[in-house]
Amino acid sequence: MSEIDLKVIDHLEKLCRIQCTDQEKKDLLQRLRQVVDYIHLLDQIDTEHVAPCIRVQQSLQKNTLREDVVKDQLSKETFLKNSPAHIGGMIQVPSVIDKEERT
Amino acid sequence: MNNDLYRFSAKKINELFLKDVITATEIAEYYLSRIESHNGQLGAFLQVLSERVLQKAKRLDQKKKENKPLGKLAGIPIAIKDNIHIENQITTCGSAFLENYVAPFDATVVRLLEQEDALLIGKTNLDEFAMGSSTENSAFFPTRNPWDLTCTPGGSSGGSAASVAARLCPISLGSDTGGSIRQPAAFTKTVGFKPTYGRVSRYGLVAFASSLDQIGPIANYCEDIGLIMEVIGSCCEKDATSLNLPNESYQENIPASFENITVGIPSNFIKNLGKENKAFQDSIHILKSLNAHVIDIDLDVLKHSIATYYILATAEASTNLARFDGIRYGNRSSKAKTIDEVYKFSRQEGFGKEVKSRIMLGTYVLSAGHKAHLYMKAQKLRQMIIDAFDKAFSTCDFIVLPTSPSSAFTIGSLQDPLDLYFQDIFTICANLAGIPAISIPSGFDNHQKPLGIQIMGPQLHDVAVVKYATVLEKAFSIADKIPPLFDREVNRG
Repeated sequence: MSEIDLKVIDHLEKLCRIQCTDQEKKDLLQRLRQVVDYIHLLDQIDTEHVAPCIRVQQSLQKNTLREDVVKDQLSKETFLKNSPAHIGGMIQVPSVIDKEERT
Repeated sequence: MNNDLYRFSAKKINELFLKDVITATEIAEYYLSRIESHNGQLGAFLQVLSERVLQKAKRLDQKKKENKPLGKLAGIPIAIKDNIHIENQITTCGSAFLENYVAPFDATVVRLLEQEDALLIGKTNLDEFAMGSSTENSAFFPTRNPWDLTCTPGGSSGGSAASVAARLCPISLGSDTGGSIRQPAAFTKTVGFKPTYGRVSRYGLVAFASSLDQIGPIANYCEDIGLIMEVIGSCCEKDATSLNLPNESYQENIPASFENITVGIPSNFIKNLGKENKAFQDSIHILKSLNAHVIDIDLDVLKHSIATYYILATAEASTNLARFDGIRYGNRSSKAKTIDEVYKFSRQEGFGKEVKSRIMLGTYVLSAGHKAHLYMKAQKLRQMIIDAFDKAFSTCDFIVLPTSPSSAFTIGSLQDPLDLYFQDIFTICANLAGIPAISIPSGFDNHQKPLGIQIMGPQLHDVAVVKYATVLEKAFSIADKIPPLFDREVNRG
């Protein structure tokens, strides 16, 4: 019996920020049920004494962070070339706060 | 002078260029006309960089005329999978979301190839965001298999594999997250190599699953794989997972046989292979005739690799694809009136079915209430898989497996997602363990469709894997076979 139902799909839609059509939701429901039921076969495996894999590279067992120094910047001009809308050197987007919400 | 150029390896083409038998411009024009003639029926290329490659070829010819030092890949045309950036060219990732996205920088691998005077000839088709095993998930069109146009070339690097198999270029680059270089290589009778994780920089590769992705070469000959690896297999300061390893030659001291080499076969894991089992057993006989010491090894834990992979890869993908929000780049929905609608309509319109499905699955396994028993469980399984390989490699030098459970399947024939996921059953483990793995052509099935076999080695043993693959390739002796439909010169009159 699958734990996935339409409520789960609605919740995932919100988390993923993807607006699905009703037909898409039905397809996703079926698909996700099938795959999630399958991956639950891992439940039976005893992993009590296994540490989770944090880093796949065996030769590199520590973090490799660099100095926090600005390097290799993309120019604003280059960056804006791909933007869907821009104004005054900034990305233009619809209002984030509703007019009614502003005090 | 140009006759039959398509029959040659990249190395040979480079030699002909260096010896003045052919100019870079002639090479570029030759392959551009092959692409023009054949790409229509194959759908291998999304973009052909005609003007750019001819300009580069002209400059290279001039460089040669002036006796300036030439790069290791001088004159070699290379195709690039369209999830790898070439500056000022479009990178679509096979997605409607990015159909107009212009790459603002070169991927490190692109910079390295061009530094060595390679001629980048085009961007190849792929499953959207590298998610798929057939190239049917491309938002634009499917790619066809040069050996049977009704069949897929595999995926997600289907365009890269098909372009090389049809001899539209001698080398291409693909990316491999769960088998996306090796499986299309097996389906198209090409050689495909996934290096040790961290061997090749991922800077400029649009990320699918960051702990699994690797860029690698596809070619018709192992010697060309080695040639490319010497150029792209280097440390990159822009990729924090890039390994700092000494330069090694892939081309010197190729062994004559498998003398003193132990090969492990996980017989129990592959026993239900079915109809292709005979072909695999024939390949093992050839290995033995090359003096390999063949032993049985236990990799039974790999039967859990599909579930493990589809939890981890989709979790990482859901995070990596969150950046496609319609704000900074990509197609923003014209219907969006609020900020929330920018996100949800742009992603709705921009992503295909498989991508949406994987993002949702990945989000599910990471969500509150599920992360502990799904994602963390899969991380533990991953460690068990790594440990199983470590144990196996303490008793053998290489592990040999089939590449794929079957030969290329008909376009449209696999609709069930799990059936498609099972295409990766023999390849996924190498990504989970971060180990180098190569697929080389081993023969044909009863329908004259190619089959492939994999050699895997411990992490960092890339050179050994490629060198011993060269030995096996020679023994199989099918590298020079060309798909009949493409085995002819193009009339350029």
